[in-house]
Amino acid sequence: MTAAQKYKKLLLIGNPNVGKSVIFGDLTGKYVTVSNYPGTTVEVSNGNAVIKGEQFVVVDTPGVNSLLPMSEDEQVTRDILLKEDFDHVLQVSDTKNLRRSLLITLQLSEMGIPFLMALNMADEAKDAGVETDFDALKDKTGVETISTVATRRKGMNKLRDAITKTRQSRLSIKYAPRIEYAVSKIEALLPDAKITKRSLALMLLGGDTSLKGWLHGNVEADVIDGIETIVKDTQRGFSESVGYVINRERLAVVDSVVKACQKKVERTDSGIRQWLGNATMHPVWGIPFLLFVLYLIYQFVGVLGAGTMVNFMERVVFGRLINPYAVKFFETVLPIAFLREIFIGPYGIVTMALTYAIAIVLPITGTFFIAFGMLEDSGYLPRLSIMLNRMFKMIGLNGKAVLPMVLGLGCCTMATLTTRIMETKKERVIVTLLLALGIPCSAQLGVIMGMLSGISPTGTLIWASVIVLTILLVGYLASMIIPGEASDFILELPPIRFPKLKNIGLKTVGRIEWYLKEAVPLFILGTLVLFAADKMRLLGLIEKAASPLVVGLMGLPEKATEAFLIGFLRRDYGAAGLFAMQKQGLLTPVQVVVALVTITLFVPCIAQFFVTIKERGLKVALAMIAFIFPFAVLVGAALNFGLNFFGVTLK
Amino acid sequence: MTPAEKKAEEFVITEEIIDELLECIWLTEERGSDMKDNRSAICSLVVEEDLVENPLVAEAALKQVLKFDYISMQGESVTLSNSGRERAKNIIRRKRLAEKLLEEVLAVGPVETRTTACRIEHVLSPEVTDSVCSFLGHPPTCPHGKPIPPGNCCKKLAHHMRPLVMPMTDLEPGRRARIVFIAPRDHGRMDRLSTLGIVPGTEILLHQKKPAFVIRAGETELALDTDIAGEIYVKAL
Repeated sequence: MTAAQKYKKLLLIGNPNVGKSVIFGDLTGKYVTVSNYPGTTVEVSNGNAVIKGEQFVVVDTPGVNSLLPMSEDEQVTRDILLKEDFDHVLQVSDTKNLRRSLLITLQLSEMGIPFLMALNMADEAKDAGVETDFDALKDKTGVETISTVATRRKGMNKLRDAITKTRQSRLSIKYAPRIEYAVSKIEALLPDAKITKRSLALMLLGGDTSLKGWLHGNVEADVIDGIETIVKDTQRGFSESVGYVINRERLAVVDSVVKACQKKVERTDSGIRQWLGNATMHPVWGIPFLLFVLYLIYQFVGVLGAGTMVNFMERVVFGRLINPYAVKFFETVLPIAFLREIFIGPYGIVTMALTYAIAIVLPITGTFFIAFGMLEDSGYLPRLSIMLNRMFKMIGLNGKAVLPMVLGLGCCTMATLTTRIMETKKERVIVTLLLALGIPCSAQLGVIMGMLSGISPTGTLIWASVIVLTILLVGYLASMIIPGEASDFILELPPIRFPKLKNIGLKTVGRIEWYLKEAVPLFILGTLVLFAADKMRLLGLIEKAASPLVVGLMGLPEKATEAFLIGFLRRDYGAAGLFAMQKQGLLTPVQVVVALVTITLFVPCIAQFFVTIKERGLKVALAMIAFIFPFAVLVGAALNFGLNFFGVTLK
Repeated sequence: MTPAEKKAEEFVITEEIIDELLECIWLTEERGSDMKDNRSAICSLVVEEDLVENPLVAEAALKQVLKFDYISMQGESVTLSNSGRERAKNIIRRKRLAEKLLEEVLAVGPVETRTTACRIEHVLSPEVTDSVCSFLGHPPTCPHGKPIPPGNCCKKLAHHMRPLVMPMTDLEPGRRARIVFIAPRDHGRMDRLSTLGIVPGTEILLHQKKPAFVIRAGETELALDTDIAGEIYVKAL
């Protein structure tokens, strides 16, 4: 027996936001981001688990509302069922929303895949007054069903005990005669596959274009033509789309099962949460609520994080403790001045890279991740989409794009992956571009907030207006230029929940760890580049060469070139460089605003660039960079010109 | 006996012919014909409308209808009794509602509308008639501008003349409704809605309309664009 065979593979499948990632975390002990909005998981995660003495590889998948995919993240899940080998499937569902879950159950049944069900969030179902008759449900579906509250580990042991008791479901459906006829004709043309031909035929009839790639790999071109003809002929017989007719018939069956298995008693509206949920998306109160939320974040991240904590870390921890000791330490162990300077010089790993990464950026990102985790887990973000839907419509997107854009304020690299929840290619390209261009990540944003707090509030206003206007303008132009369509705004709103401190803690620690792993090496690399350039006297040359741009057009000191140089690696590092310059009194308030606008719009960091290549392709990624770099400089120059022209001093 | 006389002799009245005759009397009244000698006008209209073959048969039919207490005749003048007026009113109502539905909602051609409406008027039950009327928003006139006699449903809703079936955009926030049909511009929209459980028959609660529509179906809460909401037709509960 090989190592690969020893592990059994367990797939977690289910609707979005039902708790697959929580169950995954409980089974494997590995934390994957858990939030309160549909579409948190856009990529597959694997983790090992020992369940009843057996070794398992557990696979967490993006949530699906249908196994006929409508977006890229849904396709990821369907493709796993279609193409990969696995031993067991666990369908995770939201107890109070059984109707939507059973739509997936029915499709798994049609695919001929044995599985079992976890009816999760039993506590919320109880609060909503939903009572489930498990015996009746098991009888109807024919599969093992366990009630769980994964966040509190309730029912998880029962689930572990039952995990291998997967069975083929007995739920089935006979569609309209014309559909059944077409299914039988398509079935005859299809090759054997991991899932039933019937389910494949239904997907094809439902208008699933994402299956084309698979078909081309498995059948001859003339067979594909034959299938397409059947699909077209069948569609002609219906005034509604066949996919819709199929779903409708499925829902009819599902409704009869729900009716037989669930009762809803008087709903006890949980007062405060209901009230909050309404206030956050209220046409009038929603806006003050948003401003209040922003104010709280500013107080927590901008004042506490970027102010108090950074000062403490920089002055006390690094200024009085670490750096003096490091200087002493390296002076004793490294007698050669040149080598010493690598660590403790003006471009030293300790005195520059680590000071920037840990003293300046870390307190800011840390506080931001905490605040952001609260936002994510409360269910506020999707409600924010409602408030901003109109604005996003102007730039060829819809409110759904709020999610990746706001996530970008955490980290644009992760947010670029989240663009998968957008339905059309055009939307994905626009969001990716705007993320690369104008959305500052938490690290950068924190540094920016810290710098802006040192000058007149008008400076903040100018910076924010320029960035927002630039995003709107570029978004608008991009929506005109990029071909394709915008999609509908149909967004599921999760219930308002009180964030669980444990999850916030886990999530924040995970993200900080990730930040340290990803950012610190790049900070060190950037410092080494500056050090080398300085020693080889290249830095001076580069500063001279860039002088017409930096000094002439943008009106900044020559030394700012260094910040932009390391900004090519990471924008937040570049911003931290500017922060240090401001502290040394090298920048006037106008220069601060110009430099910040430029660094905010500057090229994305290396990690984001690679993810952009992965998601959108090299050509698109390069085209974006080719646009962003000169554009950022141009906007900075224009702002400098404008501020000087009107004699704004911001003092 | 001429063949025409023979036809009149053999003529047996049917429910449908009663309907038609009463309808013709109503129509002549509506036209404002002189009530005193409207008998010939009625008979010629009955023939014109191709309901019977000749005026003699029409006369025979009128005489037979007399037996049912729907009309009274004095010399050349024919008047509707109370029960006859009620029956005639309902026929006209059904016919004109049918015309309205066919021609204006379903966009059926005028010829097809006419022949179909003439058949529908005999078969619609009072319940279905009221539903059609409500569906159409209790229209006061037919496509040709003639008045549609109001039914019970119209009286009930006299206070707020609101159609029972309306786009969700017309529903007031806070109200429950059942989805009656969805008429989307593109098919994909319907597919997506259906995977979220939004199909005809689904009960929803309209939470708010601005800045975007928010509806609740069971335990699913959804935000929608206004133009999608306008394509979802609901019946308030």
